[in-house]
Amino acid sequence: MKGIFKRALGVVLVALLALPALVVAQSPSKSGEIVLKWPCIWVGKDSKAQAVAEIVESFNTANAGKIRVEIEPQPDYNAYEQKVRTSLAAGVAPGDIFTIKLNATTKEYYQSKLLMEFSKELSGAWKSSFDAGALAQSTVDGKLKTLPFETAILPIWYNMDALRKAGVAAPPATMAEFWTALDKLKASGVYPMSQMTGDVNAWTSMIWFSHFAVSLGGQKVWEKPFTDKAFVESAKLMQRIFKDYTTPDAVGAGAGVSGGHFLAGRTAVFANGPWYAGRADLRATPFFPSVTIAAAPSAGPNKGIMISRLQANIAAGETTDKARRAAIINFLKYLTAPENVAKIAKSSGAMFAVKTNYLPEDALQKQFYTIAAASKTTATDLEAALGAEATLEFAQQLGALVLGQITPESFCAAVERKIDR
Amino acid sequence: MRRTKGFTAVATSILKWAVLVFFLLVALLPLCWLVLNSLKTNLELQTSPFAFPARPAFENYANAMAMANLPRLFLNSIIVAVGTVFLNLLVSSMAGFVLAREEWRGRDAVRTALEAGVLVPIIAFMVPYFTLVTKLGLYDKLYTLILVYAAINIPVSIFLITSFMRAIPKELEEAAIIDGCGFFQRYARVILPLSRSGLVTAGTFCFIYAWNEFVMAMLLTSSLSSRTIQLGIRFFTSQFITDYAGMFAAIVISMAPSVIGYVFLHNKIIAGLTAGAVKG
Repeated sequence: MKGIFKRALGVVLVALLALPALVVAQSPSKSGEIVLKWPCIWVGKDSKAQAVAEIVESFNTANAGKIRVEIEPQPDYNAYEQKVRTSLAAGVAPGDIFTIKLNATTKEYYQSKLLMEFSKELSGAWKSSFDAGALAQSTVDGKLKTLPFETAILPIWYNMDALRKAGVAAPPATMAEFWTALDKLKASGVYPMSQMTGDVNAWTSMIWFSHFAVSLGGQKVWEKPFTDKAFVESAKLMQRIFKDYTTPDAVGAGAGVSGGHFLAGRTAVFANGPWYAGRADLRATPFFPSVTIAAAPSAGPNKGIMISRLQANIAAGETTDKARRAAIINFLKYLTAPENVAKIAKSSGAMFAVKTNYLPEDALQKQFYTIAAASKTTATDLEAALGAEATLEFAQQLGALVLGQITPESFCAAVERKIDR
Repeated sequence: MRRTKGFTAVATSILKWAVLVFFLLVALLPLCWLVLNSLKTNLELQTSPFAFPARPAFENYANAMAMANLPRLFLNSIIVAVGTVFLNLLVSSMAGFVLAREEWRGRDAVRTALEAGVLVPIIAFMVPYFTLVTKLGLYDKLYTLILVYAAINIPVSIFLITSFMRAIPKELEEAAIIDGCGFFQRYARVILPLSRSGLVTAGTFCFIYAWNEFVMAMLLTSSLSSRTIQLGIRFFTSQFITDYAGMFAAIVISMAPSVIGYVFLHNKIIAGLTAGAVKG
């Protein structure tokens, strides 16, 4: 035992002594070259990973010896968000370039002096390449500390094979058609809809609720108190859907479960963003050719409003070094150039705030672009509008609401208490 | 009467075995499910999560190894886990010796304060550790993880090692003093060898923590050269999509050292955990 312990001690000591050498062996920077660190979420299996890596590679080649962008892989999105929060709380920018999901909570970051302000640099052709609405959404108190990049619409997905089999020829446009379609699906032996109350945002159900609320209360419904009639009526609709038209495991289910039901053909109606179109397992399903994307049926007087959100905004660490600042802007202009954005869009199926001529060849992806273009206007979803805390409360109280433990009024009051206005 | 007693004994035995088998299944089924699903395609996993794979997809393991430079991350994890265990046991055993074997004023207060660290959630350390690490220029270094993990595990290790050292008879130490042992020799030649089981138990907990830890590794490192295998596993997830089959294969690979370690050391671990439980 003594001998083993001594030998182990020796090995560990040698390993510890060798550690600094291992660390120092990281890629050295050439003198005069500005190295920009980018903690990047588009790595690993992410559908944007390859295109983003190629863009960074081509930028580095074009700027060899002057600027080099280094991607620091951030493979877990929730942990990455935690890291950004911790880093800013500790008074350090998470990187020279980084992304955040801009919502009511993360807009607080605009108060930090650690974030670069882009208003001066963003002008002329560069400015006009961005969607004006997305830029407006990214401007807080007159400051533009993040650039809108990835956006998404959150429409409704229909397995038309299942709908046709049940006797429904087209996605429902009105609530009357909607209930009829659900009844027919139910009669055909299919659970009509995927719903969920799990995860931190009850994602699929949150999208449905957002569609109902915006249709009932208008584009600016999120500015109203959550006790408003539009929200109470939306809660009643959710109650009815959970009671009669979804799977028995919907209460407590996460995104994997609700998506899994749709993929397995157990449900025929689903809500999610365009990134879901890139899934290999979706494309392998027998009903894939029939998948149809449509706007949600109008629950109220406000028609033609599509739910959309800023998925990823690009931020940069503030610096007093002019050359470094110029290097950052230089890279951001390259990254957001329409041809590069089109390249990422093509590989991932994602949608962007930068205007490009790109129209997907893929039939399913094309439907997203068509639906987005057909919408009169857009409105944000509940999570993007009200922040993480209110959304978590929404998810937690939704279970109690649909189980009949609380009334729609008390559900809305509970969420209202969590909104930081 | 005898028949009734016999029936009761059989019924008790059946009940006992039923309970044991139930808990065995509760413990083993998730593991079996994980291994089984690591051999499926993602479509199979989504559509029939409890069925056997139509064809074992061993390529998931090949993909897992190829993805995210897993062998390098595996090596980093070994360095971090072994380094953490060594550093933690060194510090904790010294502290444990002083807390368990030496008489001095305020000893109990110091021990309570140190052991109370067990109750502090790791998340509370995030900002202080991040600030400290960045200010000291230790960000994105492999040895930073060793330092942080060793420090985080000190309360648990001190608790385990101190409990064990207190059970060693005082007479052994007194005999060593008569033979001429000084303070350090009593620690190194008498108490430390006799605390093997306690050290193995604390070391095992420490190793498992360092091997499985994710949050601090994500927070305090940024490049592949200083990251551990738990971060590699996350390379199969993205903002919206997860390659569960590949991720499960990577998890099975990452579990191997802990399982192998436990198989070889389980006697010592159990002895350490039960030390002091029975007073003679």
